[in-house]
Amino acid sequence: MHHAYIDKFAYQDSPVHRLDSRVKFIVVLVFTAVVISLPRTSPGILAWYAVGPFTILVLGRIPLRFAFKHILMVSPFVLVLALSCPLYDKTPVTVAFGPFFWQTLLGWMRCFTILGKFIVTMLALIALVSTTRFSDLLTGLQKLGLPKLLIIQLGFLYRYIFVIIDRAHHILRARAGRKLRNLGFKVELKTTAAMLGSLLIRSLDTAEHINIAMQARGFNGSWRTISKLQIRCTDYIFAIVAASFLLALHFFVRPVLQ
Amino acid sequence: MHMANELLSVPVAAGTLAIAVAGLGFVCRRVRQIITSDKLALMGILGAFVFAAQMVNIQLPAMPGTSCHMVGAVLLAIILGPHAGAIVISSVVIIQCLIFQDGGLLALGCNIINMALVPSYLGYFLYKSVTAPVFSSLRVHIGAMLACVIAIEAGAILVPIEAALSGVLAVPFSTFLITMIGVHFLVGLVEGLITVAVLGYLQQLRPDVVVDFLPGKVRLSRKAVLITLVVFTIVIAAGLSLLASGMPDGLEWSYAERPDQPDFESIVSSDDSTIVAIDDFQSKYSLMPDYSIRTSRLGEAIEQEVETSAGWTSFAGVVGSAVTMAFIWLTARILRKKQPTEA
Amino acid sequence: MSKAIEIEDFSYKYPDGTVALSNITLSVEHGQRVALMGPNGAGKSTLLLAMAGFVKGTGKVLIDGLQINRKNLKKIRTSLVSCLENPDDQLFMPTLFDDVAFGPINMGLEAEQVKIRVANALQTVGLADMADKAPHHLSAGQKRAAAIATILSMAPRIITLDEPDGNLDPRNRNNLIKLLGALPQTLIIATCNMNFAASLADMAILLDKGRIIAGGGAKKIMSDSKLMATHGLEVPSKIK
Repeated sequence: MHHAYIDKFAYQDSPVHRLDSRVKFIVVLVFTAVVISLPRTSPGILAWYAVGPFTILVLGRIPLRFAFKHILMVSPFVLVLALSCPLYDKTPVTVAFGPFFWQTLLGWMRCFTILGKFIVTMLALIALVSTTRFSDLLTGLQKLGLPKLLIIQLGFLYRYIFVIIDRAHHILRARAGRKLRNLGFKVELKTTAAMLGSLLIRSLDTAEHINIAMQARGFNGSWRTISKLQIRCTDYIFAIVAASFLLALHFFVRPVLQ
Repeated sequence: MHMANELLSVPVAAGTLAIAVAGLGFVCRRVRQIITSDKLALMGILGAFVFAAQMVNIQLPAMPGTSCHMVGAVLLAIILGPHAGAIVISSVVIIQCLIFQDGGLLALGCNIINMALVPSYLGYFLYKSVTAPVFSSLRVHIGAMLACVIAIEAGAILVPIEAALSGVLAVPFSTFLITMIGVHFLVGLVEGLITVAVLGYLQQLRPDVVVDFLPGKVRLSRKAVLITLVVFTIVIAAGLSLLASGMPDGLEWSYAERPDQPDFESIVSSDDSTIVAIDDFQSKYSLMPDYSIRTSRLGEAIEQEVETSAGWTSFAGVVGSAVTMAFIWLTARILRKKQPTEA
Repeated sequence: MSKAIEIEDFSYKYPDGTVALSNITLSVEHGQRVALMGPNGAGKSTLLLAMAGFVKGTGKVLIDGLQINRKNLKKIRTSLVSCLENPDDQLFMPTLFDDVAFGPINMGLEAEQVKIRVANALQTVGLADMADKAPHHLSAGQKRAAAIATILSMAPRIITLDEPDGNLDPRNRNNLIKLLGALPQTLIIATCNMNFAASLADMAILLDKGRIIAGGGAKKIMSDSKLMATHGLEVPSKIK
């Protein structure tokens, strides 16, 4: 699991890291919406939009190779569906790119647009997550209105995913160490169920211990946290710059596409 | 399967996000009154468990090299009840998006509906319908299997529907639908088997955890599995053939062809007026109007001027942004070299 | 002045009928450091849970003069706070700050007060600049120190610790001994590590199969080699 890397980057320091999580989240959300709403068949303009997340990643000192490797890892589903476009949409079309002209299928244009949008929006999401500490992101989301119960749940989830995944790794390694040949589906199923079962039982014990720890420190049902989030000058500046960037692209690109 | 941003249009994404937010908000408010503090830790841990459980791969029978894994929505709905279960799986989906970038921000609405809200409630309802009148080992088997298969299929069916409403993909709706149904049938079956097995485990060791007590022994019996498999195969086969015959050939919801294509109007207008309305809505209110590509037909001349200027814009765009990014990157590097490096 | 902990004839059975604790009678004065010793399965953890009011058995348990019942539980949980065996159970919030602040917040303190308490607690355990870290980024020793910080911020009078030296290497164990040794609170430490107990405790209680075998001065009990051997323990090398 490469969770350690995303977390590690979030704890670095840079002007981007110091921005308020609410502002970053809203900017990324709006950016994603704008990119998604771009025409379905023109991958070229996406290049302009890519400058936005690229700048954030560079300013935030997030290695680009890491970002692209990450994008590659979550791409299979989108890749398959994007590649289906040229299969089903065989409308012939002529593409102009600078001084070059060539004949191709509309399906390819759609395919590359989907992939381009995928890369740009993923870059934006990675920029958000790798420059914001998850707990700050949660607090920001809570202030933006997410229900408290969901915030509590997300906090616990984030805290214990890695604990339980490590346990699952150990169990899987134990299985790998004892499995010498393919034993057939029924045995596979039984062992899988047994592994899941033991993981579940251990998890339930952990949940009970956590409950004891909570009550031992006086928890009586009402959940309060102290927020350290503050909107500063730099946050306003960032929001204005981002908005200007999007508006400028909108007015620059739009007339050309009419 | 996780839906991606790019396969959605903004109105569909916004709509599903609104539904998901409203649904979750409603559920959270209701649950807060019922849920006790000790359930908070349990929900968190079970969410982490679902995550880890999804890492456990099982080799599929008769399909060497492929493996599938558990989703867990129905299992959680049975253990925690549908409301808490829906919240837990929603949180899993959100974390998958935020921390592992599986599925995009705008697709969160779809993913929460497809994988958390629908499977939890539908699965729980089916399970209860089967097991509520008479609680027995066989009924738990059948109920859990039925719930898993149908809940997962329901979520899977929503994906092509959301894609079709968005019109980004060119895949014909029927093809996409049938592929999703077919693949997820197997996934649902395996999930059902695992769910039953895990429930059995729980019933032996920790029966107090499950919301409704599981009575008697819930063991994976071969007879029960065979019966349920046969029943399902018949039901699904019948359903699929109905579907295939019901769909007219060439139901192509391809939105790249603009209305200047003669066949387009007749196909769309003879079908759902809703789709036409949505298409209108999208072109009116989306931030950027759809790029009208003059599709060339064999023998027709292309309007070269429009193409040229658009072509040069794209060219300028790609080159310009590459130059800009290189400039930013270089500047950052130079500035960084001037500062003392941080550990 | 009341004793810190007073237990009279306390017994407890698990839901399946196994006897966990039988006829426990003990008392601890304020300011004492007590080592709760015994082999694995003796019931040490269960006894600590009983002291914190998590176990309903027969008999009387008084913490700081108050009997454990629903009415007093809230006040008791500010006087006696438990530190669990596994720091991953004790640290359940996304950041260290949230974990250490959890206790004071539940006690009803205001935000500024809470921040001061958190800062002081983290300072005491030597993790002053780690407030914003997530617990899964900490090393084993740091987690243990953080777990103790979550208790110190509540400023209790009595602290119970369940095998606090588990999984620690010698250096971290020594740091822990220094830390615990400097605390003013009454300490009940469950452990089967004799040297650890000998470094900290002035009193000792020997538990085996749910019964109290012996209680009294730590040195006296721990140097009784026959007693130690009979109950699966050993004489610490410090005393030999």
